[in-house]
Amino acid sequence: MIEDDFYRTSSQYRLWSFTEASLKAQRATTNAVASDRVRAAIRRAQEARRSATSSATGTPVPEVDGGGGGSTSTSTSKAEEKPIECLTPEEEQQTVSYYCEQIIQLGEAYKPPLPTIVRATAIQYLRRFYLTNSPMTYHPKQIMPCALFLATKTDNYYMSLRQFADGVPGDTTADDIIAPEFLVMQSLRFTFDVRHPFRGLEGGILELQAIAAGQGQPAPHAPPTQNTPELLRRNLFALPPPTTTTTTSTNPQTTTSSSSSTTSTSTSTITSSTPATAAQIKDRIARAHHNTRELLKSAAQITDVYFLYTPAQIWLAALMVADPPLGEFYLDTKLGTPPTTTTTTNDQTSGQLAALRAKLTQTLTACATMLRSYHPLASDPEQMKTLRRIIGKKLYHCQNPEKVNLSRPGGGGGAAGAKRIPAAAAAVAAAAAAGSGAGESGTSESEMERLAKKRKLEQGAARSKDIFGGELVMQRTKGDHH
Amino acid sequence: MPPARDAMANRGDDDEVCPVCKSSRYLNPDMQFLINPECYHKMCESCVDRIFSSGPANCPVAGCHKTLRKARFRKQTFEDINVEREVDIRRRVMQILNRREEEFDSKRAWDDFLEQREEIIANLVHGTDVAKTEGDLQRYASENMRSIRANQAREAQEASSFKEQQTHEQELARLRREAAKQEYENERRELQASREDVLTRLAAGRPGDAAAIAREGKKVLLKKSSARRSEEDRIRQKQAALRNSDARKAGQAGTAADKADAAGDSGLIKGLKKIVTPEPEKPYDPFGGIIPNKRDYYTLRDYYPSSYLDPLRQDTRMQAGGYDLQEYYSRTLMEAFAGLGCFIDEEVAQRDPAGSLGASGSVATQGASLAAVSTAGTLDPS
Amino acid sequence: MAVSPSVLYPASYEAKVTSTTIKPDANSSENSSYQQNQFPPSHSNNEREITEQLNDDVRLKYIKDKRLGEGTYAVVFLGHLRTKPASFVAIKKIKVNAEYKDGLSMDAIREVKYLQELSHPNIIALHDVFSSKDQNLNLVLEYLPRGDLEMLIKDTNIHYGAADVKAWMGMLARGVWFCHENFILHRDIKPNNLLIAADGEVKLADFGLARSFADPYLNMTHQVITRWYRPPELLFGARQYSGVVDIWSMGMVFAELLLRVPFVAGNTDLDQIAKICEAFGTPTEDNWPGVTKLPNYLPTDSSHVVPLQGRDFFLRQFPTAGPVGADLLMSMCTLDPKKRSTACRVLQHGWWSTEPKPTDKKNLPRKPDGIEKMGHDLTRRGGEVDDTTFKNAARQLNFSGARG
Repeated sequence: MIEDDFYRTSSQYRLWSFTEASLKAQRATTNAVASDRVRAAIRRAQEARRSATSSATGTPVPEVDGGGGGSTSTSTSKAEEKPIECLTPEEEQQTVSYYCEQIIQLGEAYKPPLPTIVRATAIQYLRRFYLTNSPMTYHPKQIMPCALFLATKTDNYYMSLRQFADGVPGDTTADDIIAPEFLVMQSLRFTFDVRHPFRGLEGGILELQAIAAGQGQPAPHAPPTQNTPELLRRNLFALPPPTTTTTTSTNPQTTTSSSSSTTSTSTSTITSSTPATAAQIKDRIARAHHNTRELLKSAAQITDVYFLYTPAQIWLAALMVADPPLGEFYLDTKLGTPPTTTTTTNDQTSGQLAALRAKLTQTLTACATMLRSYHPLASDPEQMKTLRRIIGKKLYHCQNPEKVNLSRPGGGGGAAGAKRIPAAAAAVAAAAAAGSGAGESGTSESEMERLAKKRKLEQGAARSKDIFGGELVMQRTKGDHH
Repeated sequence: MPPARDAMANRGDDDEVCPVCKSSRYLNPDMQFLINPECYHKMCESCVDRIFSSGPANCPVAGCHKTLRKARFRKQTFEDINVEREVDIRRRVMQILNRREEEFDSKRAWDDFLEQREEIIANLVHGTDVAKTEGDLQRYASENMRSIRANQAREAQEASSFKEQQTHEQELARLRREAAKQEYENERRELQASREDVLTRLAAGRPGDAAAIAREGKKVLLKKSSARRSEEDRIRQKQAALRNSDARKAGQAGTAADKADAAGDSGLIKGLKKIVTPEPEKPYDPFGGIIPNKRDYYTLRDYYPSSYLDPLRQDTRMQAGGYDLQEYYSRTLMEAFAGLGCFIDEEVAQRDPAGSLGASGSVATQGASLAAVSTAGTLDPS
Repeated sequence: MAVSPSVLYPASYEAKVTSTTIKPDANSSENSSYQQNQFPPSHSNNEREITEQLNDDVRLKYIKDKRLGEGTYAVVFLGHLRTKPASFVAIKKIKVNAEYKDGLSMDAIREVKYLQELSHPNIIALHDVFSSKDQNLNLVLEYLPRGDLEMLIKDTNIHYGAADVKAWMGMLARGVWFCHENFILHRDIKPNNLLIAADGEVKLADFGLARSFADPYLNMTHQVITRWYRPPELLFGARQYSGVVDIWSMGMVFAELLLRVPFVAGNTDLDQIAKICEAFGTPTEDNWPGVTKLPNYLPTDSSHVVPLQGRDFFLRQFPTAGPVGADLLMSMCTLDPKKRSTACRVLQHGWWSTEPKPTDKKNLPRKPDGIEKMGHDLTRRGGEVDDTTFKNAARQLNFSGARG
């Protein structure tokens, strides 16, 4: 199909599409490489400190663990004693997902809010970034604002860095945001285009609305039986209501994707026996449109669907979740009804279409299942608890000490990646000394727990206020510190 | 066909005798001798008329049984009948083996070809391996008919274009001469006119202005002539440019036709360039091979009812700026279906076989082959 | 290549691409990292991070030979594939830290973003991108040694005819059409952005001002396209426009190819508008509905209203194009963007099939010393304008030297 070849030229297809197995393997590799490096780096740091403490007056070297204050020496000695526990690939993935959700929140905080597409692009940047990088090496809290800023540039929603930085809560400076930009671009392998399913959904809805208005255009290869605008319209109006699981006479195979969907809002009075009115259909399409879009903004962003499926498959799968009969109907208009009604597969075209349709049903079902499986982390106390353990404690201890500072010149390009620029390092140290929150991992473990408890009490009240999901306390504000 | 050696022995001017009727030039000063390239036996014109006027007949020379036709009798060009014969053979072989240097891969291949051609000629002249050589030659001729014809045509064209060019150049020279003459005439006339002008002005003006008027007159004259000259130059250049491009195009057409032969290498000639594309003058395709607006999943409409988009049609500013909803429709629908039939799990697994870096074909090729597969069916609506 | 929306001809197309581009080593190098999403396996010592390994794989594929040109924004080198010394590339090194405090500049981002997605014989190929030390961005571009169209237009020693113009315009129109088929506006079409490959193919270059089509109701900047090639709707400040802005530029290039001087060359934006009115007619509500509502529209003195020019005018001005060619040019230079031909319509025009046939690209007039020109063209800064703050119309349009 011509449209498919169009997609095959995209960098998303060429570089950022995976099978489930290859995706998993990639993440495992990244995790293994990063873990080795983290262990080696921490060991080096400890040795350096040991020699420093023995030779010098015994003051801890602030840069090694960020100069967190009094509790530094205790935490270091602890780290020396026990083996360094690194994140698992799954934990890494959860961490990244959490920060992806944060991108949505952060984008919402701007006035006006950043466009959905910019946020979605940023999320995909972040997800692509962490295919070859580990949160242990580069903390997502540093990468996330940068990815979002880069997305504003690549998606034509240009704002100055200054303007952008003002919208980022905490004491993140413009320099902090831009510092990892080159690193991010390199990890994206200098492909900035992300093919989203949003515009495709609009196209599908345009067609459905045209069908409802009796102006449906037959698909080039669709079976001639469904070819008149009037027939298309009548079939649309005869659809069973979205929430029922009854199968229609024309589509005995629809059960695959008809399990209960997110469209609980549907209070429609349509029944399968009486044809709907024009207003009801219009309403139904509008509702399906809205619900599908919501899925695309959330579940499609945080799950792996972008890596595993194409945008066309993603939006159609989401439509199948939002309104299964409508989705099936739309697919029927394109490729004909599923092939199990085997009486009419005499000519080759319909045979090929039927084969495509069968394969597509499988793929869309798998994609829909993945979309349905998503539950926002932030609204699930169980998941938040796990995350708190991962990000708050574990990641804190296995953060690569050589990568904490990402100041701009040399901060990631090629071999210069690990180098520190003295001036910038000094600035960080100065900030830490001034007790201004020092952002960079300056908090002790006990303090973290205390804060976590405190947050737990406040949970639900002001959750969305703190953009970085205050519960995770990686981003300190002044008041919290002492 | 052994040459008639005995005929050769008989030479001289006045005492030349027709071997058939034995009449001699001494008695008949107007006597003309003719030969036939079948056997090269010489005989006088009246014998030819007498024997062959009523149709093909055997050569009257004793022992020669060749059947000869009157039409092929001609005058002898070279005194030595052996030379005459060799030249004939050479001409015939060269007409068949008429490959050109540019058709060969290398200088070496071309030289080999020339050597081979000489050998064939020598074989035929000296009568070695005649049957086989003739066979090869005939086979080659029938297999490479088109290329032989094309090269013949080209030679003819070259010969005639050389002639044409010569006459063309002469014509150009003539035109140039005439133009120069005309120009000179114009200049002379203008000079005259301006002189008269200066004179009348001098006559009318005050005496003090005389020098100024004279100077001015000269300047104007200079300007005029140089302006005209540059204008003429420009026109001439332009014409030359157009002529050149026309001539070049004619040349191209010739080459394209020659290449049309797919060189069915009969094995006789080695080292011919592989002719890449037979390109039989394909019509120019502005789209470069892509079919515009062809879609497989949907048919684009001019208008889609939408409460969100409809106000845009009434927005004068957007309309005046040229914003085109058609472009948006086209994009949303393309994106709605781009990749619907790409099954990543299969295609990626094929494309990047695990662990083997860079061992698979490029994506583009793969896309193309997939596309070929998908059109192999009857999905083409046309 | 990229398969354009074509199913029928991909194979031949592919062949064409292979013959015209350097196609970095078909079997190993190109596929290994540029085309594939296979990441290198974990190394036992893990000296470098994965992203660095990937980058080095690309970087080490090429060797930089000599410097071709240098600007404030970029340096261009001649380079070649390590494995194949005869396969030349142009490596454009963008100085990331040059002066832009907001990270990588928009034009570099745009150029990389869109060239990564476009693959067509008439669009400059981006073979690879890699970073070198000090965070420099290196774009490995197709090597186009024969200069650009501007050079050919200006060189009075080069003679060309209608068939040559048709060939060049055909290639330009294909490139533009392909951009539009991919929903990308080029927004800076002009002769010195049209580079010429060794085989004579014209390639659209400099995507520093490109962007994808805007969705409904969203604004775009009107401060794009070099002034002489800028369509009237942009001069009047339209914020919502379509692909036909590029068509106007194409029309101007067409006219310039025929005249060998820029056709409408204003000194300022206002002067440009005045010259356009003089040449093509004064825009009015009659011939261009809504024009008076455009933000920067300036009412014309009613005594200076020039009637819209008809076919005769174009035929008189451009006799070389012939009546059909003049008609095509007219359809590209229509004031009202709604009435202007789209790229597809341009390619469907009858001119392409009328005599003379377009010259075969191998036989097009050429200049031998185009390499340096390519160096110059590629160092030129692309778009400098951002999409929302147009007040600081930053794009430098330096016409005296024609490159900055």
